[in-house]
Amino acid sequence: MSDGWETSDPAGGFDWAPAAPPAAFSINLGPPPVTVASPFEAALRNGPVPEVQKIRWEDTAPRAIRIGIGRVEVAVRSFFFAPPPAVCERPDEPVKSHAAARIAADLLGQRTAPTRIAPPRDVIKLEDRLNYVLQPPLEAVLAERSLVFPFPPFSYQLQGVAFLYPRHAAVLADEMGLGKTMQAITAIRLLIRSGELRSVLLVCPKPLVTNWRREFALWAPEIPVLTIEGDQARRRWQWQLADMPVKIANYELLNRDRELFEACGPTGRAQLQFDLVLLDESQRIKNRASATSQAARAISRSRNWALTGTPVENSHEDLVGIFEFLSPGFLSPDMKPRRIGQLVSDYVLRRTKDQVLTDMPPKLFRDAELDLSPEQRETYALAEDDGVLRLTEMGDAATIHHVFELVLRLKQICNFDPATGASTKLERLEADLEEVATSGRKAIVFSQWVDTLQKLARHLRRFGPLEYHGRIPSGRREAVIQRFRENSKSHVLLISYGAGGVGLNLQFANYVFLFDRWWNPAVEDQAVNRAHRIGVSGSVTVTRFLMLGTIEERIDLVLQQKRELFDTIFSGTEAPRKLHLTQEEIFGLFDLKCPGGPIQVAA
Amino acid sequence: MASRGDQSKASLGFLTVIQDSDYGLLGGYLILNTAGRPEEFHCTAPVRPSRAQQILYGPTLEPYLYGEQIGRTLAARSKAQPLVLCTDRGPALAVREHVDMPVALVLPGDGEAGDGATASCESHWRLDKAHGRQPPLVAFRLGKNQLAVPATMSCDREAILQRLAELAECMDLAEPFGRIREAIEEARRGGQ
Repeated sequence: MSDGWETSDPAGGFDWAPAAPPAAFSINLGPPPVTVASPFEAALRNGPVPEVQKIRWEDTAPRAIRIGIGRVEVAVRSFFFAPPPAVCERPDEPVKSHAAARIAADLLGQRTAPTRIAPPRDVIKLEDRLNYVLQPPLEAVLAERSLVFPFPPFSYQLQGVAFLYPRHAAVLADEMGLGKTMQAITAIRLLIRSGELRSVLLVCPKPLVTNWRREFALWAPEIPVLTIEGDQARRRWQWQLADMPVKIANYELLNRDRELFEACGPTGRAQLQFDLVLLDESQRIKNRASATSQAARAISRSRNWALTGTPVENSHEDLVGIFEFLSPGFLSPDMKPRRIGQLVSDYVLRRTKDQVLTDMPPKLFRDAELDLSPEQRETYALAEDDGVLRLTEMGDAATIHHVFELVLRLKQICNFDPATGASTKLERLEADLEEVATSGRKAIVFSQWVDTLQKLARHLRRFGPLEYHGRIPSGRREAVIQRFRENSKSHVLLISYGAGGVGLNLQFANYVFLFDRWWNPAVEDQAVNRAHRIGVSGSVTVTRFLMLGTIEERIDLVLQQKRELFDTIFSGTEAPRKLHLTQEEIFGLFDLKCPGGPIQVAA
Repeated sequence: MASRGDQSKASLGFLTVIQDSDYGLLGGYLILNTAGRPEEFHCTAPVRPSRAQQILYGPTLEPYLYGEQIGRTLAARSKAQPLVLCTDRGPALAVREHVDMPVALVLPGDGEAGDGATASCESHWRLDKAHGRQPPLVAFRLGKNQLAVPATMSCDREAILQRLAELAECMDLAEPFGRIREAIEEARRGGQ
């Protein structure tokens, strides 16, 4: 090819590299070009005319968004409280206490948290609940000038007062020796001062009337107290006496004067009415069918309190009986103990010494497990064999009373052999009392039999024994206690469970002997706590005599079961294995068969 | 307002606000007579500041809520005219602008601040945490109580000392706030 491109590829391929430039030449192709006018040129000659848009900045302020933060109405609930009754206003005295919890606590010698009065669960209306919540602490109220105390109450006692104060139905079930009496009197005192109480009836066992009068004089000296006593005409006059804020009666009088409680006036209302009826040792009404219980329930009243260290002695029905007085129908015997425990939790206050008196000297138990003497063993075996044989022969005619007769007979033999007077218990007691007397201490000995106590008195003369039981006239009993307390040669006080189980303050004794065992553990606790109570100077040693291989050992098992029942109701522990003593179990003490059916064991 | 000589009708007001993480702010106002017995109690429904309030009020939000929204509303509901209004919440001192009585902040514990001293910067009663600008307070003793008033209302100090002179020795002005808190809790449970 000769067009200016060369190939060097011998094979005939192309070499794309350019060859040397071709030679230049020029050719004239015709006339010169002529310029022709076109619209584009015209457009170039006219030039651009931009369109201007004016923007008025001053007219374009940013849009405002309104955020509402205005005042919102706050909803308010208001409560107005009625002024307290005039009875507690003392304009003649300078105002001393205003919510002075800490200061008042200092006055009372305590530096604990203020005691507040909490509303009971059955107070429903909010205004009423707030009226309790907003009251000043109890310490501030007590610190007022006229509420003087002989000595500072314990913190737990103030809590007990705060528990009773707002309640219309309450059981103060503190362990014996914690001061239930003082707590009740102080609560009554406060309620009388606030005008909420004008007439109080206190019912207690006859031996305790004197004690209550003394306690009122100590803790509420300004409150007049009248003891109901004397013949029927006198009592009738006393019952109807007005302007006597506190009346004290014993349980027996309730039965005798029941018709007065049931008598109605012309308006149909009861002639005798009380703002508060307080039952001390309220286990006395545990049997709902008893005349005492019915008489107590017949009293017209607006508040009911019960004091007891043993709200359950034998069965949960004991508590049902007490509540039949406090709040009829609230409990029923069909309820299970755990359910009863839940229901009564807001109505019952129960504290033990271990819980509240952590610095109180300990209570030491020791079980003196003894063997019968040979004489006692022989007599015991004969009596048991003979008794069991007779019961067996009676067959279905044998009753629970027959069994109890045998139990009592055997227990007496455990104390003393009736023929020879031999007694292992006495030997052990004498040995222990030697130690007590040598150390200058005092001891109390409990038995359920006066005969046993009198036998002991004869054998223990060298220890200066004193007796306190049903055969000692009630008018002389106070002197016995005083002599035991003050006479350094009297080292032992012989007491029956029945006469000395409740209400006695024997904290100057450091030894307690349970010469024989009561059927009921609560009664034993009551007895022990005569000595182990506030004011005791040292530890209290409790010796429980138990004769091995006898009815006493078998009864001890029953007592343990009853303690389990108590714990179930008041401690929320597991249900006990057995709630009742069945008839089989009673008869089973002697391996006897019996006609069936659960029964209740008497205390 | 009850005069000093008319102690039988005299009363004291106690205002507090509790902060609940679930409900918000709950105010309580308790009127006590001079024996410490309750005469009136007022409490608010829960108050929650809006987001806008939180942003825009900034450090003045608490005084606004405690003093104006809650304190003023509660004081207005009372039939009584207390001698002194006490509070244990610093921001609630702002209620002073809306009531016609001295307002005192009850300080906790046994503070040692003497007469005329400016109270120390306790975080729980500082008015302006965010900016660290604590409005000056004038602290003083009344019996066993340690009180403070805003410096801008220092004249209240004299009024408080004068009005509570007879009650000073036996009063614990911090105690009623515990009752209010319990009552608010009770009212809240009762309202559920």
